[in-house]
Amino acid sequence: MSDTMLEPVPLAPITVEVEGLTKSFMEDGRGEVRAVAGIDFVCREGEVFGLLGANGAGKTTTLRMLSTVLNPTAGKARVLGFDVETHGEEVRRSLGFHSASTALYPRLTARETLDFFARVNQVPSERVKPRVDRLIERFGIGEYADARVEKLSSGMKQKVAIARTLAHDPPVLIFDEPTVGLDVLNAMSLLEIVEELRSEGRTVIYSSHIMSEAERICDRIAVLHRGQILALGTLEELQDATGLHYLQDIFVKFVREAEAERQ
Amino acid sequence: MSALRTLLKYELLQLARDRRTILLSVVAPLVLLPLLLWVMDATGEADRARVEDTPVAVWVDGPDSLWAATMLRRAQALPDTDSVEPLVLRRVAGPVPDSLIGSDDAHLVVRAPGEGDDGLRGLEVLYRASSDVSRGASQRLRDRLREVRLDIRDSLYAAGGLPVEPDSVYPVRPDNIAAAGREAGAWLGVFLLPTLVAIMLIGGSLVAADTLSGEKERGTLETLMTTSVSPNEVVAAKGLAIGFVALAMAVLNLGNLGIWVGFGLMELPTQLDVQLTVPGILGALVLLLPVVALLSAVLLLVSGWARTYREYQLYFLPVFLLGLVPAAAAALPGLELRSVAVLIPVANIALALRDLFADQADPVLSALAIVVTTGAAVWVALLARAGLSTERLLSDSAADRAELTGGPALFPYRVLRWFGIMWVLLLGSSMIAPEWFELRGQVLLNLLGIFLGGSILMTWRYKLPLREAWALRPVHPLVWPAVLVGAPSGFLLGIGVAEFAGIFLPVPPQVIEAFGQYLLPEGMGIVQLVLLLAILPGITEEIAFRGLLLYGLRRQLRPVALCVVVGIIFGLFHISLFRILPTAYLGTVLALVTLLTGSVFPAMVWHAINNSVALVPTAAGWGLFESGVPVWIYPIAFVGLVGSLFFMHAVGSGYPGVTKKGGAESGGERTDRE
Repeated sequence: MSDTMLEPVPLAPITVEVEGLTKSFMEDGRGEVRAVAGIDFVCREGEVFGLLGANGAGKTTTLRMLSTVLNPTAGKARVLGFDVETHGEEVRRSLGFHSASTALYPRLTARETLDFFARVNQVPSERVKPRVDRLIERFGIGEYADARVEKLSSGMKQKVAIARTLAHDPPVLIFDEPTVGLDVLNAMSLLEIVEELRSEGRTVIYSSHIMSEAERICDRIAVLHRGQILALGTLEELQDATGLHYLQDIFVKFVREAEAERQ
Repeated sequence: MSALRTLLKYELLQLARDRRTILLSVVAPLVLLPLLLWVMDATGEADRARVEDTPVAVWVDGPDSLWAATMLRRAQALPDTDSVEPLVLRRVAGPVPDSLIGSDDAHLVVRAPGEGDDGLRGLEVLYRASSDVSRGASQRLRDRLREVRLDIRDSLYAAGGLPVEPDSVYPVRPDNIAAAGREAGAWLGVFLLPTLVAIMLIGGSLVAADTLSGEKERGTLETLMTTSVSPNEVVAAKGLAIGFVALAMAVLNLGNLGIWVGFGLMELPTQLDVQLTVPGILGALVLLLPVVALLSAVLLLVSGWARTYREYQLYFLPVFLLGLVPAAAAALPGLELRSVAVLIPVANIALALRDLFADQADPVLSALAIVVTTGAAVWVALLARAGLSTERLLSDSAADRAELTGGPALFPYRVLRWFGIMWVLLLGSSMIAPEWFELRGQVLLNLLGIFLGGSILMTWRYKLPLREAWALRPVHPLVWPAVLVGAPSGFLLGIGVAEFAGIFLPVPPQVIEAFGQYLLPEGMGIVQLVLLLAILPGITEEIAFRGLLLYGLRRQLRPVALCVVVGIIFGLFHISLFRILPTAYLGTVLALVTLLTGSVFPAMVWHAINNSVALVPTAAGWGLFESGVPVWIYPIAFVGLVGSLFFMHAVGSGYPGVTKKGGAESGGERTDRE
């Protein structure tokens, strides 16, 4: 692929590597569908990597393979050097997965939720309580920490969900369309949290179909369409390559060209 | 380990917080059960009191009413006993229209029509079953009239000089040598397990419904799968939680019952008057634990299989009923632990419990029962774990793929369904066919119609490659001598194994016999016999079982399991119960032969030789083994069989895609990764 030409000079160490990653499903009436059709990219420490694509472009499937929930049909993916197929447990311990549809246990309190996820992610038991306390303080959920999650407002639930993603202090975070269904204020505070996470040196893989979000927070953007990466680079590089200013126009141009080629 | 503890702790915490479930499923039954019993008891008592306190209004009608009145007086005059309950009659004047019979005007009408055609006087007691007093009074009056008639009969006997008491004819003395406690224990042993299984299935279900299907429905399972716990830990924690709650429910309900009985609100059946000893209770607990484990694993499997609460509830009722069947095994008359029943999970525990309470526990067989049921629990838990592979939770992509492409890829998912249909057909043919055809016709129908026909249909329907699916591969010439040695050795060893097993575990003699011979049809020449019952089955059954069945299952099981499963299915096709075990053994060996040589042909010859050895000597009247097989033959047979199989392993080329030697499969249809 020619996108490698667009990659910046490597500065920070690589945390996530994806090579020829492919996932095929059989779908009614369509036969074999390659939801992800051989994609390559790498992510680095302290980087927000955007996966930009329309619904059904293959974003969620890619992220599920990275988090070992799905097995790739072909290709490789490594997180902190651990292969997703052979070292699932280590991979899962190194990453936190958050999505708009990520559910919480309704009958647990926020504190219990964090305690539970810290422990199942193998945080040593003497470090669990300080960790939970810090997260409660950081996300300002102290007041509600001992109320059951089912009774919290949606904004509070979102904070608990993000905090539980961070329960084991993972160096790599996956946000899969996290702002779907959030109001403007909640969406904004989520973006601020993502920026904080980057400043802490974590890698964030951020999938979205909302251009303004991607423009604002992604250091590099991969345009995903029909399971393939059409373009990959910083916003400036994508602007230079297309001669267009807005990400929305850039995205549409790449997708239209790809569709025209298919005809 | 600590992850397991965390999972378990939070699983139970969430259940405890589910106030509605606790209230409806735990507290309500605890209160309602005794309440229901108490209400039933109280209403029965009230009914009884009403009949006893109300003088029953009787109108005596008919031409013979004077005699009838005498009989009623005698009935009234009888003293109250256990079988003669209190009754106060009050004669009322008639006439009473039919519409008022049963009312307070006339609870009963006694008609005396006079002598009938048979020359006997009789009484008609009219009552209205819908009125409690009328119905109860009629029953009591008839009981009393019966006593009156018996008295009259006895006085007639006495007047004729005949003995009245049965014991004056000749005496019979009962002598119960079982201690009272033992009798009660046997009774308890029969009813305890079904009751506990029912309670535990319902109790375990409280967690099971929520645990996997509920998490799937809410979307929390995917969250859990992105943490670093392993599916093993998830299954273990959830299984433990289910088992814990099931056990807790059982203890709660028994304790509850004890409390109500203690308060005297309920009476236990008199048979339950059992003296429990500490070793008895401990033994019962040890026996119960494997059942708890198996029930938990089954509920977990169902929960993992279901995608939603609703689906779980749908599956629960059949599972519940199926669970009760083996638990009730001890109620079956004549079923002993010292039989094949020891191999049936849960049923074996039911029998062991019955023996334990009857003070006749057999430690060795009880231990075997525990091992078998625990083994079943582990197996089901492993199945549940397989169901938790993340891939299956999110998309059943492998099956979906096959569904769409059809053809050979779909066959592995359908092969068992086909054999299920063939089994039903065979069962039908064996039940109906004897009336239509003679044996010859039936054999031909089964072999050619069901086995060969089914094989051809499957091959055609899924466009299977004939050579691979039927395993029609050439073999090394040295395989043939091995078959000639192995087949008779295997046959003889089968008899030996059955007899050897009989030393430890009584095998019904029919099983040993079934190893040794086939049902010999009358009036069939030896040539015809060998053709119909040896060569033809050798060809057709091998194509079906070691051909298609083996081919269909080859990727889903590891080699050893593959042989055993093919063998067991083959055994199940021999409908008669006692032939299942011998034929399963033969089927397993034949599957092994096919895997070692990569071809169905040696199995065909082996099968034909096996049947011939079983049939011909008896049919020809050679009387070879009339007094049983001499023991010294077994070691020789063992060496013959094992040697032959080793030889096949050495020279055979192996089964492609299953054995290492067979190598990777040819053909581009293998899509899943190694």
